[in-house]
Amino acid sequence: MSKRLVAIVLVVLMVAGLISGCSGKPVTQENNQTPEERTLKLRVSDSVPSLDWEQSTSLRAVKVWHQMFEGLYGMDEAKGGYYKELAKDVSLSDDQLEYTITLQDGVKFQNGEDLKASDVVFSYKRAMKNPRFNYVTSMIEDVAEIDDSTVKVTLKTPFSAIDHTFFSIKIVSEKEVLEQGDKFGTIPHKAGTGPYYVTEYNVATNIKLSAFEDYWRGAPAVKKVEYRVISDDAAAIIAFENNELDYLEDAPLTDWEALLSASGDNNSLTKGNDVLFLGVNYLSPTNNNILANDKVRQAIFYAVNKKDMNSAACNGYGVETPYYMPPEYVATSPKDGFETYEYNKDKAKQLLAEAGYPDGVDVGTILTYGANTGDKAKMAQVLQANLADVGITAEVSVMDSAVVLPRLYDQDYDICIYADSNNFDFNNIRQMVHSESVGMYIVKYKDGPFNWKRLEELVDLGVSTSDIEERVGYYTELWSIVMDSATLLPCLSKPVPTVWASDLEIGTPVPSFYKIRTFSWK
Amino acid sequence: MYRYIIKRILFLIPTVLGVVLIIYFVMNITPGDPARAMLGSSAPQADIDKLNHELGYDLPFIQKYINYIYNMIVKQDFGISYFTKQSVFAEIWPRYVVTIKLALMGVVLSSIIGIPLGIYAAVKQYSLWDTVPSIFAFLIAAVPSFVLGMILLFIFSLKLNLLPSYGISSFSCYIMPALTISIPPAAMNLRFTKSSMLESIRQDFVRTARAKGAPENIVIWKHALKNAMLPIITNIGLNLGMLIAGAVVAEKLFSIPGIGSLIVDRITYKDEPVIIAGTILIAICFTIVMLLVDVIYAYIDPRIKAKYAKMKG
Repeated sequence: MSKRLVAIVLVVLMVAGLISGCSGKPVTQENNQTPEERTLKLRVSDSVPSLDWEQSTSLRAVKVWHQMFEGLYGMDEAKGGYYKELAKDVSLSDDQLEYTITLQDGVKFQNGEDLKASDVVFSYKRAMKNPRFNYVTSMIEDVAEIDDSTVKVTLKTPFSAIDHTFFSIKIVSEKEVLEQGDKFGTIPHKAGTGPYYVTEYNVATNIKLSAFEDYWRGAPAVKKVEYRVISDDAAAIIAFENNELDYLEDAPLTDWEALLSASGDNNSLTKGNDVLFLGVNYLSPTNNNILANDKVRQAIFYAVNKKDMNSAACNGYGVETPYYMPPEYVATSPKDGFETYEYNKDKAKQLLAEAGYPDGVDVGTILTYGANTGDKAKMAQVLQANLADVGITAEVSVMDSAVVLPRLYDQDYDICIYADSNNFDFNNIRQMVHSESVGMYIVKYKDGPFNWKRLEELVDLGVSTSDIEERVGYYTELWSIVMDSATLLPCLSKPVPTVWASDLEIGTPVPSFYKIRTFSWK
Repeated sequence: MYRYIIKRILFLIPTVLGVVLIIYFVMNITPGDPARAMLGSSAPQADIDKLNHELGYDLPFIQKYINYIYNMIVKQDFGISYFTKQSVFAEIWPRYVVTIKLALMGVVLSSIIGIPLGIYAAVKQYSLWDTVPSIFAFLIAAVPSFVLGMILLFIFSLKLNLLPSYGISSFSCYIMPALTISIPPAAMNLRFTKSSMLESIRQDFVRTARAKGAPENIVIWKHALKNAMLPIITNIGLNLGMLIAGAVVAEKLFSIPGIGSLIVDRITYKDEPVIIAGTILIAICFTIVMLLVDVIYAYIDPRIKAKYAKMKG
């Protein structure tokens, strides 16, 4: 018996020794390091596919690239609008077709080379060849070097939303890109002018950045940065609570209360630029083209209880919205003057009766994508219940985005819950309403029963002038036509929950493009 | 025996061809295309079609299949990832090694925990040494891996701050994932071992050994256990095979860059080269594990060894 007891005690000691011996000390012990030694640790929820900013438009990757690359313009989300970044002076010709841009003085790439106009031309021409960026480059006729510090951007037609192009296209060092050749993007480089450059890149696990000491605005205060791939939300929360992460954005809302207590005062819940909305395909053949009936679509819209959706999808932290883009972030976004379909169950029932379905009707399937427990799936379930309340029946189908999105772009659905993000100029609505945006829109307006010709005309008029009020006027009429069609209904602006370490100073929290160069250790 | 091993290794060829065919078929019938996944919703349809053409995605299903097999065999080329533009093999191999490491740790731990407890439970049937581990095994078998993982994270990372909650930067990073994937199979091992041992210790040869005065240790370890090992080894082999493909829960939860999580992630991007190559590696590994199990059978069971010897003769 005593032998057995000794054996058991030894096994217990061995396991305890294994666990504690591997660690020996707490896993997080960086707080006593100097600011120069400390590494700022952030989470990315999935791999960043490349170090070349041209290889994706995913916001997750773009946020990382924004620490390394800069454009001619920057974006100030805290105050709204764009500001000159690598551009020092910008002048526009009388015919509004030629932008002459003088570059900032003393800007160096991370490889030590001076920024020259030829690098800007190289970067723009490279982006113009990339179909991924067609939405921000299709209006450019040519980009030419005037002298070492001046470039001329010529447009095909006047295009007042060009600021977003100047922001979106990042400037790279021609020399660095050509030297790395096909490997550019797959290995660390110093091709940007931004405050950080990559020192280590492992697509599966992490990206390490170091401060660029010759950064033209001055060396950043935080010297080392590491992005770590943590796909699971629960693991990310534990990592933050365990001080293994210093900055956690898009924190899971389900655990927001726990994060609040872990972060003290260092948290923010910013209104995001992602909008979740409902789409109805009036071309669907389901139930003898039931969705082609205007009154049925309107009944669906009036039946939507956005408050319930907010509770289910965003734990009540989202913002119910009638806007396709939040006016706080998009100056050209219409604020009023269009139908908003406030929740009205009686009106929905009345419209349904007027449509000839007083006893209710089946409208097919509510299609959405993402996780079964994700925000869109939850919204779909709430919508199903809302519709049932007024006598409309629908199934819910949640599948992978790779399956659902092509179906939406092919108008192969009845009703969908969809998210749109990263819109900073109302001109982006072109992708949703213009007939040239085949493969991008989820509702096909061309040849439909709506005033689609006027819609397209308004899209063009919207970029023909730089007068903000005039643009808002055009877009108000445009959005009014869309809302009257009862095909797209914005539902929620998603919140951006962010928490950060107690000894980190981040300035004003912003929803998308935080700048680590403005961070500092307390 | 050698002939059998070579035959089984050759069997890998139709297995791989079959796996590639199935994956191609499944990918072919699901909607979506890699160009749309790569270029995003902002790219015009004409550019999407052009890129799909360049990638050979618009070729007939059977032609794509033949091209892939040709490149794989003749050029040893698994292609370039649509998502990262990196060589598929270069991307997959490090993740594969991580998964193998994790799966082996899981299997070793599950065996170390499950088998001795199973033996002891069988030998001490109806005592507390039997009842407590058996009830515990039933409970554990009903708990999903991710729940176990969360409990471990909560205790060892959050409360005790002893182990890192994610990554693979040190050996300590593997402890919780390995425990997460090993505890449910350990419960299974316990139950298999116990039932197999109970059957074995009631056999005549065990009674004979005892009657001849053999010490109890020898009776249990040499006579009973050796004869009870066949189903246990089968179970261990199956566990290893399952963990190579199925450690994805632990990989996701602990952000371990393994092959399972890679395949799951890339399905969203329709990254066919990565999905297919990853699946091929898993299929090969599974087949090799099963082959090893068969070989071990022959060494443990004299009847099987004799059967192979007879075939050779």
